[in-house]
Amino acid sequence: MMETTQELIQELTKIAEAPGAAVLDAIKSTGKKAVGCFPIYAPEELVYAAGMLPVGMWGGNTKGNLAGKYLQIFCCSVMKANTEQALRGDYDGLSAVIITAYCDTLKCLMENWKAALPGMKILPMVYAQNRKTASGRQYMKEEFLRIGKELEKVGGTEITDQALKAALDIYDDYRSVMQKFIVKIRKYPAVFTPRVRHLLIKAAYFMDKKDYTEKIRQILSSLPAPEPLPASRHPIILTGLIGEPVEFLDLLQENDFSVVADDLAQESRQFRTIADRNLPPLDRMVERIALQDGCAFLYDEKKTRGAMLIDMVKQTEAQAVIYCQMKFCDPEEFDYPIVKKELAQAGIPMLYVELEQQMDSMEQLRTRIQTLAEILPTRGR
Amino acid sequence: MYLGVDIGSSSSKAVILNQDAKKIGEAILNIGTGSNGPQEVIGQALFQAGLQREAIRRTVVTGYGRMTFTSADRQITEISCHAKGVHFVMPNARTVIDIGGQDAKVICLDQSGNVGNFIMNEKCAAGTGRFLEVMARVLNCKLEDLSGLADRGDNGVTISSTCTVFAESEVISQLSMGQRIEDVALGAHCSIAQRIVGLCNRVNIVPEVVITGGVALNRNAVHCISEELKLPISRPDDPQGMGALGAALYALEFDKER
Repeated sequence: MMETTQELIQELTKIAEAPGAAVLDAIKSTGKKAVGCFPIYAPEELVYAAGMLPVGMWGGNTKGNLAGKYLQIFCCSVMKANTEQALRGDYDGLSAVIITAYCDTLKCLMENWKAALPGMKILPMVYAQNRKTASGRQYMKEEFLRIGKELEKVGGTEITDQALKAALDIYDDYRSVMQKFIVKIRKYPAVFTPRVRHLLIKAAYFMDKKDYTEKIRQILSSLPAPEPLPASRHPIILTGLIGEPVEFLDLLQENDFSVVADDLAQESRQFRTIADRNLPPLDRMVERIALQDGCAFLYDEKKTRGAMLIDMVKQTEAQAVIYCQMKFCDPEEFDYPIVKKELAQAGIPMLYVELEQQMDSMEQLRTRIQTLAEILPTRGR
Repeated sequence: MYLGVDIGSSSSKAVILNQDAKKIGEAILNIGTGSNGPQEVIGQALFQAGLQREAIRRTVVTGYGRMTFTSADRQITEISCHAKGVHFVMPNARTVIDIGGQDAKVICLDQSGNVGNFIMNEKCAAGTGRFLEVMARVLNCKLEDLSGLADRGDNGVTISSTCTVFAESEVISQLSMGQRIEDVALGAHCSIAQRIVGLCNRVNIVPEVVITGGVALNRNAVHCISEELKLPISRPDDPQGMGALGAALYALEFDKER
């Protein structure tokens, strides 16, 4: 492999491993303001169109006792980490934070943050549950408009139709490139290990999307012809909120698993849907959310997630699905029984693992993952 | 000769098989990972078999402490090893309930003894041997006497707390309200049975159901689980040694494959 590929991979994984420093560098080098974007579908395009840098806020292995003042021990660890980081000042460089309400924890968190961080501009946002109806679409359009106006005040720049269209083009280009990226890297399991794959996708949250997409393009074009796949590997699919901590991903690698596709909110759900580029900008944003099915955080009347995963397994010839249940994440827990039943009927093995971003002991998890590897036949493709 | 070592959280087990898969040495010690238990238990099993360490051709290690035991040829999970051991001695087994010191597992087997599905308890002592240890301490009796104490109970006191720490407080509260110690002991066994059956309900339970692990030695607990599950439960003669037996069988298999 060309050296530049490894250099690019290292550059991006380093950003994902230390996002704070990367964001500060980006603020300094571009002179742009930065706006924090909570999971899962914060309208980053609006931030971008307002001339600011959207920054993903997906927690981390953060320990401390500050967040305990606002969040009980049984709250999602991503939200606890975000709150801890905010209270200790990690996000002081952000000009605003968009908090989208998809679950009970997030709903309460909006108010908690307003009280706990009076100096921080909080922009609460609620997506329509009925995403596909005319009234739901109208509501979402108005919500995007409202947030857009707020962002204009933060950035001091008007969001024109032209600027929003340009931002959407950049984001849809990112989505399109990422769709190709995750397919192509299946053939390079030794390079794109579960940890590297995850970090490369995660780096997108802490960089200008245009620059990030260019780096991914360069990685794709620099890859040599693939070598035959090792006979011992187990191709798998991850589903859930996020596939962290990274030690969990290392356990996958230790046991010869390669991630051939994912349905993680932090990863592929960000780029698997692209709306019609000919629609007016706000309608285009609304349409993408309306099309985004199979996600626990968006109301899905037809419960398509199980069928979608079964198709994914068929397409990728994965041997199993790992349900990455972030501890105490209600929306994901609600989906689990339905997905489990459908995958069992389809004869697809599924392993349920409970994860927390702040996990100290990995031994139980190791036993589960190793057992899955022991019961699956090895397969080289 | 083939050595299987099962290093659990609270006990170490070793089994030695000859080339015909006949057990020639076996030992159990109630000290587990992070202690000299594994080395001692191997020494005892070797002594029983009348062998020196050099006579062992292959070693497989399993259990919670398997990653820290570096002198084995291979390490395999306790789930696979319990399945292997149980299928060897009870080939009609289709479900294995393994309750150890800090983990509980339900393992589904096919006719050939392959693991089809499995489920483990979450990071919590409820429904594990640790729960019974805590209860024995609160009730001021030895762990081995807990089953007999519960046998003398008439009406098991309801212990509603899922968490072992809260359950301990609940038991103290019940005792201070004058509940009979025997009824509280019975209640503790019913509580562990409910947790285990909750776990069982997450997989497809098919008879014959076999119980293994240290908790299988507690007859009252096995009875309560059987009642709660509404299915008879079989127990091998050596429920604690199934993991080590499975590991030794794997060691034998690997040697034949070479």
